[in-house]
Amino acid sequence: MMRYVLSLLLACFMWAVPVAAQDGPLRIEITEGVIEPMPFAAPDFVSDNAAGAELGRQIANVIAADLAGTGLFREIQPEAFISKITSFSSPVQFADWKAINAQALITGAVSVDDGGKVIVRFRLFDVFAGQELGDGLQLVGTQAGWRRIAHKVADQVYSRITGEAPYFDSRVVFVAETGPKDARQKRLAIMDYDGANVKYLTDSSSIVLAPRFSPNGDRVLYTSYESGFPRIYLLDVGSVQRRVLESQDGTMSFAPRFGPDGQTVVYSLTRGGNTDLYRMDLNTGANTRLTSAPSIETAPSFSPDGSQIVFESDRSGVPQIYVMPAGGGEARRISFGQGRYGTPVWSPRGDLIAFTKQSKGRFHIGVMRTDGSEERLLTASFLDEGPTWAPNGRVIMFTRETQGAQGRASLYTVDITGRNPRQVPTSTGASDPAWSPLQD
Amino acid sequence: MDFRAFPWRAACGRRKLSTTTDKRVGRNTMKHMSKVALLCAGLALAACTNADRFDDTNTVDLNGAGAGGFAPGSAQDPNSPLYFQQAIGDRVLFAVDQSTLSPAAMGTLDGQAQWLMSNADYTAIIEGHADEQGTREYNLALGARRANSVQEYLVSKGVAPSRLKVVSYGKERPIEICSSEACYAKNRRAVTVISVVPTS
Amino acid sequence: MNTGQVISGAGHLGLIAFALFGGAFQSEPLPFEVTEVTAISAEEFAALTQGESIPEAVANVDTPEPPQEGEAPALTSEADTPPERSEPEVAETPPPDEVPEPVEPAPVPQADVSDEPPVMQPPQEDTALLVPEESPRPQQRPAPRVAPEPVAEPEPDVQVDDVERQEVSPSEEPAEVVEEESEATAPEEATTEIVTEAEENDVANAAPAQSIRPRTRPTRPEPTETAEPAAPETDNSAVNDALAEALGQSGTSSNEAPQGPPLTAGEKDALRVAVQNCWNVGSLSSEALRTTVVVAVEMAENGKPVTSSIKMLSSSGGNGAAAKQAFEAARRAIIRCGSGGFDLPVEKYDHWRDIEMTFNPERMRIK
Repeated sequence: MMRYVLSLLLACFMWAVPVAAQDGPLRIEITEGVIEPMPFAAPDFVSDNAAGAELGRQIANVIAADLAGTGLFREIQPEAFISKITSFSSPVQFADWKAINAQALITGAVSVDDGGKVIVRFRLFDVFAGQELGDGLQLVGTQAGWRRIAHKVADQVYSRITGEAPYFDSRVVFVAETGPKDARQKRLAIMDYDGANVKYLTDSSSIVLAPRFSPNGDRVLYTSYESGFPRIYLLDVGSVQRRVLESQDGTMSFAPRFGPDGQTVVYSLTRGGNTDLYRMDLNTGANTRLTSAPSIETAPSFSPDGSQIVFESDRSGVPQIYVMPAGGGEARRISFGQGRYGTPVWSPRGDLIAFTKQSKGRFHIGVMRTDGSEERLLTASFLDEGPTWAPNGRVIMFTRETQGAQGRASLYTVDITGRNPRQVPTSTGASDPAWSPLQD
Repeated sequence: MDFRAFPWRAACGRRKLSTTTDKRVGRNTMKHMSKVALLCAGLALAACTNADRFDDTNTVDLNGAGAGGFAPGSAQDPNSPLYFQQAIGDRVLFAVDQSTLSPAAMGTLDGQAQWLMSNADYTAIIEGHADEQGTREYNLALGARRANSVQEYLVSKGVAPSRLKVVSYGKERPIEICSSEACYAKNRRAVTVISVVPTS
Repeated sequence: MNTGQVISGAGHLGLIAFALFGGAFQSEPLPFEVTEVTAISAEEFAALTQGESIPEAVANVDTPEPPQEGEAPALTSEADTPPERSEPEVAETPPPDEVPEPVEPAPVPQADVSDEPPVMQPPQEDTALLVPEESPRPQQRPAPRVAPEPVAEPEPDVQVDDVERQEVSPSEEPAEVVEEESEATAPEEATTEIVTEAEENDVANAAPAQSIRPRTRPTRPEPTETAEPAAPETDNSAVNDALAEALGQSGTSSNEAPQGPPLTAGEKDALRVAVQNCWNVGSLSSEALRTTVVVAVEMAENGKPVTSSIKMLSSSGGNGAAAKQAFEAARRAIIRCGSGGFDLPVEKYDHWRDIEMTFNPERMRIK
């Protein structure tokens, strides 16, 4: 009996201390880690002439800003650097970078040829492993397009380290706002995702709302009061030419969004006070009615495969989120939380739906799975609305408006984990962002 | 004349009428300041204007085109747009999320219908608005519901549907800019903006 | 079977019972005042403390208790079961043993296992006087870093490092490490989970209501659960420590054997904790966060990993690219935290010359 008890006891111990009986390698399992920005160093890209050197500095700055802006990386300030990168090809002194805890190191070289063509080469190192990650790349662009080159380098680095798809080389179309709240002037504008290179697409003579990119970023759909009534316009980003989409007198159309084919548009049409969803074929102009309910149906968004549409409806009494087949038909409610849900947008990855939620006098941007489960609120403020996805589905941009008579709208981004909320710098007020796909 | 000298204006705060109407108000109030001032005091919503607006050069003078005769265009002229706007009331208010008409709103709309019936030269655009609590898209649809309620009511009182158009501004054009219920209540509105039928 | 073993066995049974039911190893929440500080945001905190230095600990009546008896076991093993939700956990963990502290040595066999205890730090509740009394439910205070254990914001003049260090004179520091000689370091401020804006309790507004529909969490892998005893694993390791030592004392193994006894659970734990402190999954894609990798590493006798020996043995859960990123994060963890040599008993070198580490990020995904 004693023996039995003891062996049981010992068995118990052996099970808890497997190493005691084991031969071969020591085995441990790591299930807890830390989540923190990875420190990186991006010294100025080297160049053999002054013009290139200045460009090399600027490019390194943009790369650093891109990476640090994700919240996944932390830039080590150049003042801390021990060794200097003077040549692109000479070996890296890893110990010097280890000493300042730089885990990733980005080096590069810029050369500007006589024709003004800019050639940028870069390499990425895992400092602690003492290895180069991937193969360095060479990018060629124009001097005016140097920021895009920098974004592309940063995209490569981001992708290589995190495994996420890139998104820095993208643009945002939005509504630039000036003037007081009760006399606000709105213009359509386009800029780089980081707020640089703002270009206006319309004047401020009429209200414009909620621009949306086509799947390849060449065109924008938006709503304008140009005719005195809300109508949908299609604007070519390159030529800035626009045309109004056909609509009947006495109706209002708004909240347009492209389907993944770039030819189908889904939108809201209001007739006799009732708002329903329609889809239009841009080639033929043919319209199909998708919903017919006395309730409000608006803010439609296609799934990336084009098979379904998520939208907002108040058929239950308060606005909630529903999903239906892209050709219309029975809709299934997916949001069940307290409060009001609106402006659902399907993630480009297809796995999540971002939305605006209004609850207890606060607005939130949140995400949920496409069946409505795992709802997670990412932000909270007086007024957050209108989420749009980064092309890689990892970051969401939205409008945040401050409270009161001096209220002003600005653009913010947030990681889908809810980390790293930050404002996108814009010189004017800004609202209704729409993120472009990654540029070619 | 400087409006800032009038004490009532301070009480009104920084308000203005809907964009379509305030231009006219500017000219008219110049002529009938004292009366308008009284009306302003009496009508919570009226005639509180934005000083910058008076600099507008492209103001539309409806007086000449309005009904002729006695005190043309004045707020006392029952056939004037100003009378419609101020004495009858050009707007009705709605409860949160609602587009149903309150008894008070119906009273106002009865007056509007009557005026429109007796002033056949005018057409109207009914603007629906919402407060800022809500998404842009939903508020556009909600404003449309409100404008439609007004339109249907006016039609039921005999106004020809062809004379009425509706438009929704959602939350794009608040008249009150604070972020509290006092302002929201005034922003949840449908405004009947009258205009002259173009003479052909 | 000799009587000594019976007595030892019975004694350990008693110890287990005590561990399970005596509450000795429960990490009781320390006084809650500490957590109230979580009700203000980092910005608010910065604003409040602007222009004045953080009060010295000595001047502070409410300094959190130094480690007390019975708590110390939690110190060695806390990392096993990191707090997963924002319970009113201790905001600071006790200082390291190598820090000369006027504290009684805790009754732990493995007292010199150097966890990376964060630096003792003056609590910020002094500055929280403006926060209304009716503190909302305890909440993680947002920090740019998520770690197994919450770490209070370090003192401003302390360098952030993964390993806490005392200020030492240059000569005592390994020569290869440049520029670290004169700076005290402390772990960076951290919370145990990501705090979104929506979860931050600003005082004026309660947190938004949760969904009616319960959120379905990703199902956890059974293995990690089943491999653990029903009792918190913290207990287990401490018990094992005690057991290992007791067994040693009872003469079942000889310390004179050339390869020494196997590593104790405490020693293994120390290694695990040391690696996980550098295992940063914060810059991994969602896909890589679904990927478990098994990594082999060969160790030098000085406790340092042989960098070139680190290789991925297998991966599961993600595609090849994701496995690559997951492996690289694991490799960085081993190299970075092993750069000063892991604290492993040299007499047992044969037992840890080859190590296989499984990096399973499952729990990190839901932070």
